[in-house]
Amino acid sequence: MEILSNLATGFALALTPVNLLYCFLGSFIGTAIGVLPGLGPPATIALLLPVTYGIPATSAVILLAGIFYGAMYGGSTTSILLNIPGEAASVVTCLDGYQMARQGKAGAALAISAFGSFIAGTLAIVGLMLLAPPLASFALKFGPAENFALLVLGLMMVGYLAGASLTKGLMMAGLGLLLGTVGLDPIVGTQRFTFGFFKLSEGFDFILVAMGLFGIGEVLANVEQTITADVFQTKIRGLLPSREEWRAAAAPIARGSLLGFFIGVLPGGGAIISSFISYALEKKLSNHPERFGKGAIEGVAAPESANNSAATSSFVPLLTLGIPGNASIAMIFAALMIHGIRPGPLLVAERPEVFWGLVASMYIGNIMLLVLNLPLIGLWVKLLKVPYPLLAPLILVFVLIGAYSVNNSSFDVGVTIAFGVLGYLLRKFDFEPAPLVLAMILGPQLEASLRRSLIYSRGDLLIFFERPIAAALLALALLMLLSPIFRTVLSRKFWQFVAPETRGKPDAGSV
Amino acid sequence: MLRRSAAAALALGFGVAAAYESAKLPFGTVHSPGPGFFPWWTSVLIAALALIFLGQALRARAKIEVEASGRIAKVLALLAVLALYTFLLEPLGYPLCTFLLVLFMLRVTDPQRWSVALGMAGLTAVASYVVFAVWLSVPLPRGPL
Repeated sequence: MEILSNLATGFALALTPVNLLYCFLGSFIGTAIGVLPGLGPPATIALLLPVTYGIPATSAVILLAGIFYGAMYGGSTTSILLNIPGEAASVVTCLDGYQMARQGKAGAALAISAFGSFIAGTLAIVGLMLLAPPLASFALKFGPAENFALLVLGLMMVGYLAGASLTKGLMMAGLGLLLGTVGLDPIVGTQRFTFGFFKLSEGFDFILVAMGLFGIGEVLANVEQTITADVFQTKIRGLLPSREEWRAAAAPIARGSLLGFFIGVLPGGGAIISSFISYALEKKLSNHPERFGKGAIEGVAAPESANNSAATSSFVPLLTLGIPGNASIAMIFAALMIHGIRPGPLLVAERPEVFWGLVASMYIGNIMLLVLNLPLIGLWVKLLKVPYPLLAPLILVFVLIGAYSVNNSSFDVGVTIAFGVLGYLLRKFDFEPAPLVLAMILGPQLEASLRRSLIYSRGDLLIFFERPIAAALLALALLMLLSPIFRTVLSRKFWQFVAPETRGKPDAGSV
Repeated sequence: MLRRSAAAALALGFGVAAAYESAKLPFGTVHSPGPGFFPWWTSVLIAALALIFLGQALRARAKIEVEASGRIAKVLALLAVLALYTFLLEPLGYPLCTFLLVLFMLRVTDPQRWSVALGMAGLTAVASYVVFAVWLSVPLPRGPL
């Protein structure tokens, strides 16, 4: 019953005109950038971070979260109509979605992915609502040793799941940890790595790093690639799936929702991996696996449900443990910090309005998204005709203004551009930027908990192994460290199994 | 292979340099770690990972890597313009700098017709200035204009 009264409070907050507007804006922008290849959710959320300075915390989170899950709806549109994934999480949707479109079933494919997304999104909110509060109260018992172990495990999982190679992922995490140490030491206040720049004594502003790495980095990478889009010329008819199609899609939607939820909860898991795994699962379970890749509706329904469910459930580790599992969630972490709210076990208890307001807004946002993505689908198809060369300068100008506005300084513009170069180079050398931003955010906590634990135990490293929870978490981290061999085999098997010839590249780093 | 080895070498150099810089900070002891403790271990970790990565890169058989088209020159040119933008932002002011940046992108990076380029550049510079500097009162440098 307590949940119901909390949820009622949340709805009271989410249904105020202002928050409804932010929820709509988030869903709208999310769908738009989901549709547009070349601009991913982390980049967009980074661009909007400076904007959220001026609005209340709950509204800010409602807006940014809407962009994140909204992009999961929009991403499928380009996959189906263009065979180019609008988001990385919609790569597998190309396989069968585009084939359906070529067979004249574009309407059914778009509809089933929108309905699947809606069902999965809504189920995942229920899961989030039920799982988060008890998990948070469990995490309240954690001391510095447990926190350290949890952060190590979190970073390890992000490095493990975010990219192709654990070594590269961990290198990125290391770089992020180092970037996080720039500025004043958190315990004794010594200046570190400021190299005489007074402006660095408060460390690198996360907003600048994020806007550079994701915003400018993405523009530079796209300038090199030139994105061309040919909209598939077809009349989109029949936006309601037939009874047959519903029957075929029902079980995949249910399985996709469930699978997506559990993968989304893992740090580093999230939308992309869950869409791949659920596709593979459906192919495995199907009586006619040969239909996959030739327009099987299950191949659209399952991954599109899974990515939505995972996007929502990736809020669980953020709101309960304070661990952002992917780059978009890291931006939302930063937005909360700007408003003086520390994501973690205390959030649900101390700032219930933020948590329940967000949960309620997600229910509303999913309904808005269903409307935006079905009756209004024609609008988004038109948006695809805007050529990227005209869009790129606008994105860039927006980033530059945002960077300037943080402290009204052109030094910050320079810092942002420098991180843009880094972001571009990382993409060029196939390094995933997500572990870097997560480590940068978590670094100060990781360091503080390590040093506090060591001071507390008088330098006895056994503190991390004598406490059962800490030991278990660290053992899990070690297990992951030792298992890349196993993982290489697994992913090779997956690609052999699915054997896709997907055209086009998704947005880099769009988790 | 070459590209991966280059990345590994770069990371190794970075790790070593960072370890050197961290060593200048007070390290403390295990009983009471100082400001240099965590950065030093992190740098060592990066260097060690870079070595592993270098090993992987050298062991991998040389594959023909798809190299990007000749557009890398465009990226470098755009970067140079962005660097100029940073330095000229205060003296020339936001509207003029932004006009020139957008014009550059629409004439050099991805060439459009002059009318489109000039129109977009003018519109972007003026509209964004009005929205951000006038309505949202971000004190963007106005310049001599």
